[in-house]
Amino acid sequence: MSCVLRVKDLVYTYKTKRTLLSKTECFELGPISFSLEKGKTLAITGNNGSGKTLLAKALVGGIKPIKGEIELEGQGLVKEHLHQSNKDIRLILQHKKDAINPAVTIGSMLDQTLLLNTELDALDRKQKIEDILVKVGLLREHYYFYRHMLSDGQQQRVALARALILEPKVVVADEPFAALDPSVRSQTVNLILALQEELGLAFVFISQNLGIIRHISDSVMVLDKGQVIESGLTKEVFEQPKQELTAKLIESHFSLVERHFSQM
Amino acid sequence: MPLLDIKNLTLEIDAGTERVKALDKVSLTVNEGEIRALVGESGSGKSLIVRSIIGAVPDHWTITADRLTWKGQNLMAMTQEQRRQIMRREIAVVFQDPTSSLDPSATLGDQLEESIPPEFVGSGAFWQKRKQRKEIAISLLHKVGIKDHVSCMNRYPHEIAVDISQKFMIAMALVSEPAILIADDPTRSMESTTKNQILKLLTRLNETKNLGILFVSHDLLAISSMAHTMTVLYCGQTVESGKVRHLHRRPLHPYTRALLDSAPSFQTNLPPKSKLSTLKGTIPTLQHLPIGCRLGPRCPSAKRDCVKVPELRSIQNHTYSCHFPLHMPNSGQGKAKKQNIDKVSAKQEAGQTETKLYQRMPQQASPKSALGQIIEELKGENE
Repeated sequence: MSCVLRVKDLVYTYKTKRTLLSKTECFELGPISFSLEKGKTLAITGNNGSGKTLLAKALVGGIKPIKGEIELEGQGLVKEHLHQSNKDIRLILQHKKDAINPAVTIGSMLDQTLLLNTELDALDRKQKIEDILVKVGLLREHYYFYRHMLSDGQQQRVALARALILEPKVVVADEPFAALDPSVRSQTVNLILALQEELGLAFVFISQNLGIIRHISDSVMVLDKGQVIESGLTKEVFEQPKQELTAKLIESHFSLVERHFSQM
Repeated sequence: MPLLDIKNLTLEIDAGTERVKALDKVSLTVNEGEIRALVGESGSGKSLIVRSIIGAVPDHWTITADRLTWKGQNLMAMTQEQRRQIMRREIAVVFQDPTSSLDPSATLGDQLEESIPPEFVGSGAFWQKRKQRKEIAISLLHKVGIKDHVSCMNRYPHEIAVDISQKFMIAMALVSEPAILIADDPTRSMESTTKNQILKLLTRLNETKNLGILFVSHDLLAISSMAHTMTVLYCGQTVESGKVRHLHRRPLHPYTRALLDSAPSFQTNLPPKSKLSTLKGTIPTLQHLPIGCRLGPRCPSAKRDCVKVPELRSIQNHTYSCHFPLHMPNSGQGKAKKQNIDKVSAKQEAGQTETKLYQRMPQQASPKSALGQIIEELKGENE
């Protein structure tokens, strides 16, 4: 099998003056190791403040890990390949509303991405932007729209378009569905599944919604206080969780489901 | 008598040239000790309803309602002061965004102690009262599941995590022992264990203290595990309301069906990575509301009649507003039923006048049983 993303013993320490309940000075993430194959989805879950977002940032090179290696198709994330790897691994941020520049149109925002990363000329860039907008379920006209003219679901699509426009191999999505309404969320899930099938994307999917994780992911990894406490195939982890915390998370989710069915 | 009774609440917003109906004839009741869920997507006006109830609306919004009453008292005719007294003691609200609805310039402990009504701290000198206040505050924090009360009370709102401040907001709402708690999306951005805790807490309060809860959310899993009744809102119109169990078992409105189908947790036999069922399009903005039934452009079974606003109909406390409800997709409106029976009645030439038949009709819900009963009665009379 072709392994797209391999992470080995990733460690990152984050210093804070003061955290929530104690005055500890640092937050340690890792060591984390995993590998991800083409067209597969890895879900990362865990409590609030367990380091999920930090891991996402570390994967795309937003923060520099202290130790460990990240390999994209056998190539390390080092300075020489950085230009290429930035194209191959893309991040969808948690707060997509704040991640879109309110002062420029969607078209010019996507154009910037292409301008900085590719050598296409103006006409090709425009063509490509229009293609990607259609692909994620928007209209060509959205090229000229500003952020405030779009609904939540459409903004999510724009974020997805920005991630996909450089034809990446891996997409890291940080809570992509958290702010979406149920019906729009199903649309986006369908869209992501279709794109994954079509383009063979590998997904790193960070979420707290266990229902969706179970639906779309192949394997799952549970974080707690920066440490991986459990990982494995989704089905196995959901059926036989080994750690107490995982069992608690899963049980509390399914107790809601059970309560729902017992009411019927 | 219901605690909170809202009938045909309409909220109009002046948007420059035109007036937009952000809420269109919304009806809602919360009885004593009932957990009523208010479900809807963002932009459907859930929070607007909450704001209309508590009276926190700007002057250029106009509220009209046939009824907006609290324990039989008309809230709209009250003075600000009277209304504030009710808000202070009987209706408690947990707002959507906890961190920004707390006072950023005071510690959490101060804010919580300030909101304790004076009659709860019996008589005594000021230091004794202060001590009592503190004890009440601490016991409240423990009750909502904040174990480390010391560090919580000494902090400012920006210093604590969202889920803790959410719990804190609930503690603050419960301090005056209200009769109803309005919780606006209280479980947003929480992991499932914390969410479960909060839901259990609310259920327990409902059971022990007979607290009525208006639970505003779009988390269907949370709702179906705790709520008794639910009202589904789409785009400022009430779409369907009734017992949670009934709605789950047999949704009558296409939107409710779509909403329930969209949660993968509800379908046990769904293969992983399969397509989820969904409605096309997104919820329209306030500037571009469709006329008639607002679901119209997205509805899979929309027909020409849908440009008129459907009337509210009800079957055994299960109300819905749709021209083509799911249990009888082709029936259209009540007219069709009448016509059917009309034809039959013409054939029933048993010496009875049609007017007599008509008099008997309206009490019946389904045309078939209506017909059956009429025939029975006719038989009896003929014999």
